[in-house]
Amino acid sequence: MLLELTGVSKRFGPVEVLSEVDLSIDAGEVCALVGDNGAGKSTLVKCVAGIHAIDGGSIAVEGEVRDISGPRDAAALGIEIVYQDLALCDNLDIVENLFLGRERRRGIVLDDDSMEQLAAETLDSLAVRTIRNLRQNVASLSGGQRQTVAIAKAVLWNSRLVILDEPTAALGVAQTRQVLELIRRLADQGLAVLYISHNLNDVFAVADRIAALYLGRMAAVLDAADTTQSQVVELITSGRSGSLGLTDTNGART
Amino acid sequence: MARPATEELRRRNRAALLEQLHRHGPQTRAELTEALGLNRSTIGGLAADLSESGHLQETTGRSTGSAGRPSTLVECVAKSVSVAAVELRFDRVRFALTGLGGEVLDRGELPLEASAGADAAAAATASLLDGAEVAEAVAAVPGLVSGGVVGHSSELGWDGTDLGAALAEATGRKWRVTDAATAGAVGEWSRGDAGEARNLMYLHGGRGLTAGIAVEGRARPGSSIQLGHIVVEPGGRECRCGMRGCLEAEMGAFGFTEAIETTTVAADLGDTKAREALRRSGQYLGRALGAVVTAVGPDEILFGGWLRELYLSSAAAVRSALAETTLPQLRSGLRLRTPALGAEGPLIGAAETGFEAIIDEMR
Repeated sequence: MLLELTGVSKRFGPVEVLSEVDLSIDAGEVCALVGDNGAGKSTLVKCVAGIHAIDGGSIAVEGEVRDISGPRDAAALGIEIVYQDLALCDNLDIVENLFLGRERRRGIVLDDDSMEQLAAETLDSLAVRTIRNLRQNVASLSGGQRQTVAIAKAVLWNSRLVILDEPTAALGVAQTRQVLELIRRLADQGLAVLYISHNLNDVFAVADRIAALYLGRMAAVLDAADTTQSQVVELITSGRSGSLGLTDTNGART
Repeated sequence: MARPATEELRRRNRAALLEQLHRHGPQTRAELTEALGLNRSTIGGLAADLSESGHLQETTGRSTGSAGRPSTLVECVAKSVSVAAVELRFDRVRFALTGLGGEVLDRGELPLEASAGADAAAAATASLLDGAEVAEAVAAVPGLVSGGVVGHSSELGWDGTDLGAALAEATGRKWRVTDAATAGAVGEWSRGDAGEARNLMYLHGGRGLTAGIAVEGRARPGSSIQLGHIVVEPGGRECRCGMRGCLEAEMGAFGFTEAIETTTVAADLGDTKAREALRRSGQYLGRALGAVVTAVGPDEILFGGWLRELYLSSAAAVRSALAETTLPQLRSGLRLRTPALGAEGPLIGAAETGFEAIIDEMR
């Protein structure tokens, strides 16, 4: 397993946001994380990203328990996160955005040629055909193209796990399709992908496994091939579905 | 006594070398040695043979950035052998002249009138071909194909139409006729992203729905599956074919070809009618696929044509229906993907079918 969360817990004061969450993701698979608002999806991601320190449990990368205490630690372990708001700079071009903060140098000047070449190779490997000019400002790109650039930025650094937080939330239909195909391609190339979404069609289109959070607890982790939409909806809304899920969904613990 | 055997071995190796370069593009001799498991000097001899016959050439190739002489690359000469491929659709004939190595040398497209017959399609093909010298010619038709005869095509409205004969008459040469979905599977396996699939199924969404299979990249004889005529709702809507409740009729496939864009956009904006139409179509498609998966057991399914849009917009319904109608053993290793070549798959696959025949003949 590339990433393995065991009994991860997180409290904000008296509120227990995550309670003994177990989740593992292997290379080459897309794991979708679903759950209602406030179920703890974003908090879980921020724990993996090193933005929040966890209060209990452990995070293991390739079988080794790691202490991730900041975004730099996460990046060093090959974990990259694409946030909803993308965090791209409008006034910089695509290449500059991809290498922002990690520019390549040749002597004291920037090595623009090699950065541009690597950027082109990365976009090419992701079969991105919608972007023609790598030197155009990000401000001039469409929502789907921006998302593509943000994902390419995450892939550029030999990352092993890419976490996508609602990447299609603000996109139109055609752009959503492109991003979904891109997500699938990332996994098919051997990366592990943790994909957070509210849209069950998007989830079923790309996910190999579906993990449902309910009020901070992991209700179930299912193979997408064995799951039906109604089961996932029940797990999201009530934490259980038939024999699946939590047995004590009123919050009381035995 | 040893001579004929050596000669045969040499011929086989020559075909293998050509196939390797045709599929994977320019390579160094060292890479070829590794890929084919042949001796370096054998590769050299074969490459020299094929250079003499004009199929291959050696170029001073890629620089690795490090010091030293760059290694020479062996590559196909595109113009040495070419294949003509056409794909028939309800409104047009698409044409590509493809050279060895997969390079497209020429491209063309002519409109086809509604309810055009085989003669009109053949005439358009002849004018697109324009007398070009080709080693093989392949036509991809959406429908049930056997030999040169199109048994049934919802898209073209043909039943028992002898396209092979019409093409032969119009162009004065023999044509292979394959169904578009099988061609799509071959194309995606050889030039797309599905080269690892053993049993690859391609779904072709046009004005009708068909499916085709490539086993290890090769068209399976008689593999054309009439997906659109699987009955998903017994006693349901009347289909063009005369049966009731066919997938095509229940999905309204004829409307969908043009309407898929507007329907998905409307559904995205919250139109409940459009959402319901997508959900129902996805559910029916999933049920029909369930039957096909149970019968054939593919390890990868590609959603081609407008089914790509339908799948990405109603995947939850498709997969739920599939999960309810197939054995766990059959679906656990099953990958559902969209085609990497987009709409080009069938045309590229038709050309690859031609090259496969050429290389097979060399063996």
